[in-house]
Amino acid sequence: MPVAEAKKRMVRINGCVASAQAAKYADVDVIAAYPIRPYTATMMALAQMVANGELDAEYIVADSEHSQLSIAHGAASAGARVFTGSSGVGVQFAYELYSPISGSRMPVQMMIADRTLDPPGDFGSEHTDALSTRDMGWIMGWSCDAQEAFDNHLIAYRIGEDRRVLLPQMVCQDGFFVSHITGDVELPDGGQVREFLPPYKHPYPLDPRRPVSHGPQIMPEQGPPLQLERARAMEESMAVIEQAHEEFGKIFGRKYDPWLEEYKTDDAEVVFFLQGAHAVTARFAIQHMRERGIKVGMVRLRTIRPYPTERVQDSLSKFKVVGVIETNMALGSVSSGGALYAEAAAALYEADKRPLMMSFMAGMGGEAIVLKEFYWMTEKMIEAQKKGKIEKRTHWVGFEH
Amino acid sequence: MSYTELTVWTRGIIMDKEGRDIVNSVSASARKEGKYAQAMENYVDNPDRTNCPTRKYCRVSDAILENELTYENEHPNIVVLVEGTMVKGWDYMRGMPPGGTLIINTHYTPDYMLRFVPGPERLAQLVCVDAAKLADHKWLYYRLGELGLDRLSTEGAAERSKLVAPDIAAPLIAAVVKTTGIVQMKTIQPMIANQHAFNLALEEMKVLQLNPVAV
Repeated sequence: MPVAEAKKRMVRINGCVASAQAAKYADVDVIAAYPIRPYTATMMALAQMVANGELDAEYIVADSEHSQLSIAHGAASAGARVFTGSSGVGVQFAYELYSPISGSRMPVQMMIADRTLDPPGDFGSEHTDALSTRDMGWIMGWSCDAQEAFDNHLIAYRIGEDRRVLLPQMVCQDGFFVSHITGDVELPDGGQVREFLPPYKHPYPLDPRRPVSHGPQIMPEQGPPLQLERARAMEESMAVIEQAHEEFGKIFGRKYDPWLEEYKTDDAEVVFFLQGAHAVTARFAIQHMRERGIKVGMVRLRTIRPYPTERVQDSLSKFKVVGVIETNMALGSVSSGGALYAEAAAALYEADKRPLMMSFMAGMGGEAIVLKEFYWMTEKMIEAQKKGKIEKRTHWVGFEH
Repeated sequence: MSYTELTVWTRGIIMDKEGRDIVNSVSASARKEGKYAQAMENYVDNPDRTNCPTRKYCRVSDAILENELTYENEHPNIVVLVEGTMVKGWDYMRGMPPGGTLIINTHYTPDYMLRFVPGPERLAQLVCVDAAKLADHKWLYYRLGELGLDRLSTEGAAERSKLVAPDIAAPLIAAVVKTTGIVQMKTIQPMIANQHAFNLALEEMKVLQLNPVAV
């Protein structure tokens, strides 16, 4: 059914299909596709929508992810609302394009369904694929279920296309845990989407009638002002991100904190700090541990670019111990574990009160993090709390007793 | 608390939709009945290849599913083999608690098939249903070209046919529901496209009672 006639309804779909639905509701103009699992299910669903006449868009299958992002870049330069996506090594094959797209201020949207990088070829979810591009000037965040994935796509377009921002967005979800697990998703009324996300109009599109240059070679002294502008756009996006989430809540009735979800943190002494789908199991584990009197909670990072430094500082400095659940690899990094620890620790550096921090390598390779592993990690945090110090900074969960 | 796991073993591409229809219809029925339920495919088995074994899962519970992100059924109470020769070669009984049900699409009798089942002492019943015959099933290889379009659909994301169980899944669903009561017949039957095969299976399935679990 065309979006214009769509009425609000509940459907049972997985994250990949939710992303495709969101692209349809956003009435994208160009879809640049290249298959790699788990993202493939999204491009298949979109292909079907275009073929059925539900979505009037140019659907272009590229010959690689590099071409896919090049097509996205070109289409956005001509003023199109563009949707693309990838997973795992596909995200990396397109790496050259990430900086040019954000540097030319094209609000391309890319859906990422995480997949572990090679070797040796694992379908499972790790956030390393998208996180490896985190400093390329893209707005970036993770959802933890299919509904949030759908919502994040609409919100991200609204943010990225704002004249104050004009930046591309990576809307990320865990492979399998979100991409292939079905959930109840409310598809909105067409009118709600029109109100929230007006048609896109790029201020300086490529147009033969009004010639302009995009991306020419420049002299070194011309570089810094451009970089400064991009850095400022990222900083200034923070206010837009907050505004977009607030307006989304008013129109759609689902209110998200743009930066952090806090779960049972009011009196918590130890907390998990994570992003993505494992928050679902973490909430159950926390409920069970709370029944046993353990003061544990969770802080889930919803947006990692731009990084909400002050919010992370304010939130995490309230606790005695923070256990970062990484679900990504940052080999040889400050914790010799993942990327989340380093940034959270840096955010806390200026805090008056700093919690003890440890890094948990869990959910690696796409393994589920089960309840007993959350209990084990909590024991490690409580041990550190009792001793008042961290004896081991990084734990590989499942490899220690 | 009642918690039931259903695992369906099927063959890639040619019988992928059949397996998916079984878990999806049981899960949807359970949710209609107010239970918590989840259906999913084995993420690692997919994307499927022609004839390769792939697994589909369903979980039904009175309580909220806390293991929603666990990607395999670890203790299946009910196992369905969508194609009879799968009875040999894989340990589809792994993790089954005592009192389980095994349902096989075959024209053989349960007495005959029992000899191939690994760890049959865990079974409360072995059910054989000649689903291919009851659904008047023409084997699928001759239309692989069509299947390539319709079924190589990346885990059902772009399936053209919206019919649930138009083929051999219908008798198998009938066998699952009649012999286990995982959901009510009146909830699931209206969803099924092939009513004829569904009803025939209710009459013609062969059930061998084995080791009831002591209560």
